[in-house]
Amino acid sequence: MNIQQFKDRVFEVGRSAGLEDMEVYVSQSKEFSVRIFKTEIDDYSVSSVQGVGFRASYKGKVGYAYAEVLDETSVDLLVSSAKANAEVIDSKDEIVFFPGSPSYPEVTAYNDELSSVSPEERIEFARELEARALAADSRVDLVNWAMTGYEESEIYIANTKGLEQSFVRNGGVSYVSAVVRDGEQVKTGSRFQFGNDWSKFDAEKLAQAAVNEGVSLLNADTVPSGEYRVMLRYDAARDMVQTFSSVFSGEAVQKGLSLLAGKLGQKIASSKVTLVDDPLMPNGGASIPFDGEGVASKTKKVIDQGQLTTYLHNLKTAKKDGVESTGNASRASFKSPVGISPTNFYIKPGETSYEDLLKELDDGLVIIDVQGLHSGANPVSGDFSLGAYGYLVEGGQIVRPVDQITVAGNFFRMIEDIEVIGSDLEFGIPGYGGNVGSPSLIVRSLSIAGK
Amino acid sequence: MLSERLISDVLLAALSTGGDFAEIFVEDTYNTVIRMMNGTVEEGVSGRDYGVGIRIFQGTKSVYAYTNKTERSNLLKVALEAAAALPGTKQVESIVLNRCVVDKFNPIKIIPRDISQREKVDVMKKAHYAAFGYDDQITQVTVNYLDTDQSIMIANSEGLLTDDRRVRTRLAINAVASKGSEKQSGFYGPGRHMGFELFDHIDVEEYAREAARTAVTMVNADYAPSGRYPVIINNEFGGVIFHEACGHGLEATSVAKGTSVFAGKLGQKVASELVTAVDDGSIPNAWGSQNIDDEGTKTRRNVLIENGILKGYMIDKLNGRRMGMKPTGNARRQSYKFAPTSRMTNTFICPGDSTVDEIISNTEFGLFAKRMGGGSVNPATGEFNFSVGEGYLVRNGKIEKPVRGATLIGRGSDILKKIDMVASNLATGQGMCGSLSGSIPADVGQPTIRVSEITVGGREGNN
Repeated sequence: MNIQQFKDRVFEVGRSAGLEDMEVYVSQSKEFSVRIFKTEIDDYSVSSVQGVGFRASYKGKVGYAYAEVLDETSVDLLVSSAKANAEVIDSKDEIVFFPGSPSYPEVTAYNDELSSVSPEERIEFARELEARALAADSRVDLVNWAMTGYEESEIYIANTKGLEQSFVRNGGVSYVSAVVRDGEQVKTGSRFQFGNDWSKFDAEKLAQAAVNEGVSLLNADTVPSGEYRVMLRYDAARDMVQTFSSVFSGEAVQKGLSLLAGKLGQKIASSKVTLVDDPLMPNGGASIPFDGEGVASKTKKVIDQGQLTTYLHNLKTAKKDGVESTGNASRASFKSPVGISPTNFYIKPGETSYEDLLKELDDGLVIIDVQGLHSGANPVSGDFSLGAYGYLVEGGQIVRPVDQITVAGNFFRMIEDIEVIGSDLEFGIPGYGGNVGSPSLIVRSLSIAGK
Repeated sequence: MLSERLISDVLLAALSTGGDFAEIFVEDTYNTVIRMMNGTVEEGVSGRDYGVGIRIFQGTKSVYAYTNKTERSNLLKVALEAAAALPGTKQVESIVLNRCVVDKFNPIKIIPRDISQREKVDVMKKAHYAAFGYDDQITQVTVNYLDTDQSIMIANSEGLLTDDRRVRTRLAINAVASKGSEKQSGFYGPGRHMGFELFDHIDVEEYAREAARTAVTMVNADYAPSGRYPVIINNEFGGVIFHEACGHGLEATSVAKGTSVFAGKLGQKVASELVTAVDDGSIPNAWGSQNIDDEGTKTRRNVLIENGILKGYMIDKLNGRRMGMKPTGNARRQSYKFAPTSRMTNTFICPGDSTVDEIISNTEFGLFAKRMGGGSVNPATGEFNFSVGEGYLVRNGKIEKPVRGATLIGRGSDILKKIDMVASNLATGQGMCGSLSGSIPADVGQPTIRVSEITVGGREGNN
């Protein structure tokens, strides 16, 4: 069965089983990835997969089910499981199946040229990554990751209220990590690139940056514990924004899981901070014309010059708050229920370059990586205590690398304490939690534990 | 699943170029997740994963392809596409499959799919009420129920044809305690390689009360002092520190490439002589157990470290080729969407002679990490970080007060040498381990241990 036939069949069987509203969310994807180790192909993976997520209301409650094979067995499984799951729901939340927006924005996220790059070219790129990294510095012991990958996916959503939308995207990713050694001390440096413009993928640049970073960390040592003025480099800053992005979700607010409850319209961050969610960004990693419920996407500021202007909503949470959906309904995959997630979500860059940020920092620490975000950061309280490394800065100059420290603080306090915002906005690798970006940020004070 | 004829044809197609070994992995898995918040069932999702993974080796080169369009023509096409990446001369002409019946040592009594969603919800409600009723400061309780019923079939060009069924059931309880605008949480997630009979074996309410107790204790705690000092890590989930900081470095994935600090150190002293550590995927019904690994090798008990001496690694077929060593039954993967590689199963430090009381009374100043949170490690450098879920300050041999917000950082190889006391109370806890071949269930474990010095990060100044 093709997708159309499968959808029609599920809706037909569902209707005769007494299901009311029904929706299918289908994803189909093709992936390719190759990893090189010591000039040989270490890992080579190709795939083509599909999956269908199904949700249906029964006696006013909604149940979910999913399957990967589009056959008659799956039709029966989806209908009977969704019904059984609906029967145990006792949440009073009213779920709306959306008939479709009057119009949808034009969004570009597919690049034909990228899709036509041959496997051989991609393999060659990964080989070059490894070779360039090895040649970049005599202290490179080995290159433990040199990979490149490609993915294209199509999302299709249709329901019994008349909604029917689809969208195709593609993207490439490349990652290199070098192990550098000086005597007993071993460090790693890594870089990635994501995007759908193949001409912008630069093996030389990626390899050199990864090695430079690894080498710059050799002979690192800890620092005395205390309060430090800190610059979170764009990547560490981005990881923090990503980790705490759930505090802006209308669902977290309504469930008492966000301390931003009741703060709409209030100043919650330094007036330098503007936080944007932009699903329409050309070729953005999370760009899409409609959200996980079929609502038309739109760009909005979540924080505008320090002031909280909106939460991120799907239809359910918007209805509870008496507002319109912000188009942030998400399906992490076809297996997942409707949730809320940002799209291309970033702190608006300022005008200060990285070098000038160091001068502004004067005396303090640059943190270039934070670790243990899944366990050492608590989005409910905002508290974090994370492994970290970076550089010690004195008089606006990097004096030495720093490791074996933790950085601790509170996210809500931290965004109030942002003093300078860099011009160096960089996005991460898009994933379930959206596509998050940040420039480097100078924070007045964070607790560092070292020796 | 697939006919023997089709399996042979796919394997031969995979070896039509230069491959010397081909393997097919077929998976049919049923999953259920039910989420409850504050006693209200908010979501139920059930589903079925079905797909095929094809892997080809040529020496130490490996190609993996997977699809869930499993009709004959597509499987042959996928096998040929994958084979195209390994050009050479054909090395295997024919394959004779020998069906191998696996000794099933993980008995399953009640298949979760035979139990109504309502009965599952009843167990969740029991947990909810126990946690919610524990204390007035508990303001929120989330209970997730998960079951998975995975049937797999593995065949390879050496003639192996075998199958396994892995049924796992788990309850994850998260309790939040509030005081003013502050919130702290406590977690427990008991699970087994077992069906719905899990709930005849464990006291759900006791786990729920423990999660609530942690949350209430922490919301009333001060911040931990930062600095370098002794840390007593409790048994059970405390084993996550060995898992992250040492276990990953003993996986062939990093050993074969020489990226692990433990590479080339077999027979050498890598830990305090008090440390004996084991990975054992053959413990009946344990969370990380399975009858065979995801390459069809029988799981077994592997001694990793014995009295401080490095004795062995965890090895899969491909890395075994690279290392010239035999597989150890540790090849695992999240699903057919991942090529298998060496992973932990149930990994733990073996019991010693001390008691917990002795360890605490012998500690002048330190942190007692009663419940650990999660953590991660950079396998190349061995640098790790962990959060402490429930901590106490120890002063003059006595527990002084609860403290929160502590993070432990260090290098795995250093920590192993600094373990200076090991108690006898070995227990295990359940986790999901994420790495190259996806997210897989793994038990961590240890008795209560003391590490003479770890860097503790916290929000208070030096002690």
